[in-house]
Amino acid sequence: MGVRKLLLGIDVGSVSTNLVVTDAAGELIERLYLPTAGRPLEALLLGFSQLAKRFDDAEIGACGVTGSGRQLAAAVVGADIVKTEITAHAAAAIHVGPGVRTILEIGGQDSKIIRIEDGYVTDFAMNTVCAAGTGSFLDRQAQRLNMSISEFGACALRSTAPVRIAGRCAVFAESDMISKQQAGHAIEDIVAGLCEALVRNYLNNLAGHRMPEPPVLFQGGVAANAGIVAAFEKALGVPVIVPPHHDVRGAYGAALMAREVCGPTRFSGFGCVTSGLFAKGFECDGCSNGCEVVALMRDGEPAAYWGDRCGKWGVKLAGTAADARRQTTSA
Amino acid sequence: MVITIPRLGNTHMAMRALFDAFGIACIIPENNKAVLQRGTAAAPEDMCLPFKIMMGGFLGAIEQGADTILLTGSCGPCRFGEYGELFSRLLKQTGHPADVIVIDAPAEIGMKTLLSRFGRIAEASRAPRRVKIAALGQAYQILALADALDAAAYKLAGYERETGACARLLAAFRREMRACRGPEAALKVLESYHRQIRRIGMDPSRKPLRVAIAGEVYSMFEPFANLNIEERLMRMGVATERLLTPTWWLRDLVLKPLHLNSPEVKKRSAPYLPVPVGGHARETIAHAEYARQSGMDGVIQIFPMGCMPEIVAKAALHGVDVPVLTLVIDEMTGDAGYDTRIEAFLDMLEARRRRAKRWA
Repeated sequence: MGVRKLLLGIDVGSVSTNLVVTDAAGELIERLYLPTAGRPLEALLLGFSQLAKRFDDAEIGACGVTGSGRQLAAAVVGADIVKTEITAHAAAAIHVGPGVRTILEIGGQDSKIIRIEDGYVTDFAMNTVCAAGTGSFLDRQAQRLNMSISEFGACALRSTAPVRIAGRCAVFAESDMISKQQAGHAIEDIVAGLCEALVRNYLNNLAGHRMPEPPVLFQGGVAANAGIVAAFEKALGVPVIVPPHHDVRGAYGAALMAREVCGPTRFSGFGCVTSGLFAKGFECDGCSNGCEVVALMRDGEPAAYWGDRCGKWGVKLAGTAADARRQTTSA
Repeated sequence: MVITIPRLGNTHMAMRALFDAFGIACIIPENNKAVLQRGTAAAPEDMCLPFKIMMGGFLGAIEQGADTILLTGSCGPCRFGEYGELFSRLLKQTGHPADVIVIDAPAEIGMKTLLSRFGRIAEASRAPRRVKIAALGQAYQILALADALDAAAYKLAGYERETGACARLLAAFRREMRACRGPEAALKVLESYHRQIRRIGMDPSRKPLRVAIAGEVYSMFEPFANLNIEERLMRMGVATERLLTPTWWLRDLVLKPLHLNSPEVKKRSAPYLPVPVGGHARETIAHAEYARQSGMDGVIQIFPMGCMPEIVAKAALHGVDVPVLTLVIDEMTGDAGYDTRIEAFLDMLEARRRRAKRWA
């Protein structure tokens, strides 16, 4: 019997860095949810050192990368496929059941709606410049109320008369909450009101005039919040399904997509993230564009560059989005 | 007289050559983040992005000695109609006074006014009349050739054998144009690059994603205002086509009174948007309809935040049966979210192809 071929999925998000390992059929074997804490490379180092205890480099048959830090992560680990969070979340949801029509996804810094028909993405929207309606905002409000984010949902569910909070903008929502709290409203009614405001804002901004069609899947870190789930169900009038491992669905989707890539993996092994690795940004002064170039340094030597418009610094890293796309379209 | 003009796609190449021939000094500002930051600080907050970019550029140009701003105008229904007046006042307030010459369609301001405004520039030149007239023709040629080179590269990037060949050619072309003075030299560079692009190895069997680029006119002309959408797509091996170019705009200006320019624009947009709403909303819709008819994979619509005609177009685009990604740009737009949307859109277009194949 040869070595088993496993799939590795990595989602380097703004708030959390998630890693999953699945078997060839997409069955989840291991999952890690680690805080990114502004240092994606350190989060990867921590994650890989944990995975290395359980898995052999040779066991990894393919590796997929997603998340807002996908370019950095792909350059470091050697990815077979690099896709956006939107595509990764869709891949994960379609794997659960091809009948799914809508994915609601709320992460640390952004939120998305993805519409699906017969297992293909037909439309998507991503929130623009607004923080209201993201995980970070909820975290901050929970902190302000001296409540852990895990209690937040349960607290909202205890409410019988949610107050109406202006959810258009994170700053206004916060001042509205404070005024409601000072007026003497019960904490659970304020928390439930906040959940409803967030959902209202999400639907107004992202769903527009087309209501989400069932079955509706809710993925991303915020799906852990029962208060938000309840608010979505109330607003939509349909059940909202939170799939298992909802918080690492992006990484899971990345692993599934890596399965589709043929040929030997480019994965450089769990030892590839070392403490000698760091990224640094600089402004290129080659012309007036002033591109913000990022250099990935390995033991003091530049290993890869990206961010330049003209290609002067060479987007030579294996598995950039552009390269991956060229492979798939020319196939 | 030291003239400054807004940097607007390839127009600066033609204008630079024109003023070189006229013997008039001309300062063309760069567009970059520092310029935008300056413009944002000086402009009213809710003014549109093109105004802020231009404002930043003018401030710098005036500090370098420019005393006259040459600007195209529009008495149309959107805020662009106010640019000239607003620049004039704001620049004075910030201690950077300059003459603002607004060139507008003769139908709007009258032929006499238009000629007298041109006259102010012509007077400042000592070049013989025959040189001036020849230079005007050459400037148009430069613009048309530069736009055609861009269009060829944007489309061919989907078929190139060697990744990045078209993008590198464009980058080299722009570098060379920067150093080039006078119309003859500019035309020589252009002809050389037109020959070079024909020699780039192509693979006609490739089936790249084909995407139409449409939207507000400034964002169409000026890569800085659309975060270099076409160059981004070139890197991803996507073939793009765009209707709105400075050459198109100039032809439109001349031919509009005769109803001769792009008659298909009206025809294609009429079912979705039967009345003109200002700006280039009808062109946006017509180009999307063209994309649908010619079997392109999708449309990317781009406009600066708050652009009224394009907001109307966005709603009307729901009626056109083609996938549309709308990108709204303002001074706070970050690259990351922008890339994520574009990549996800391209993934979606590829999925549509696979789906169509499955049901075929």
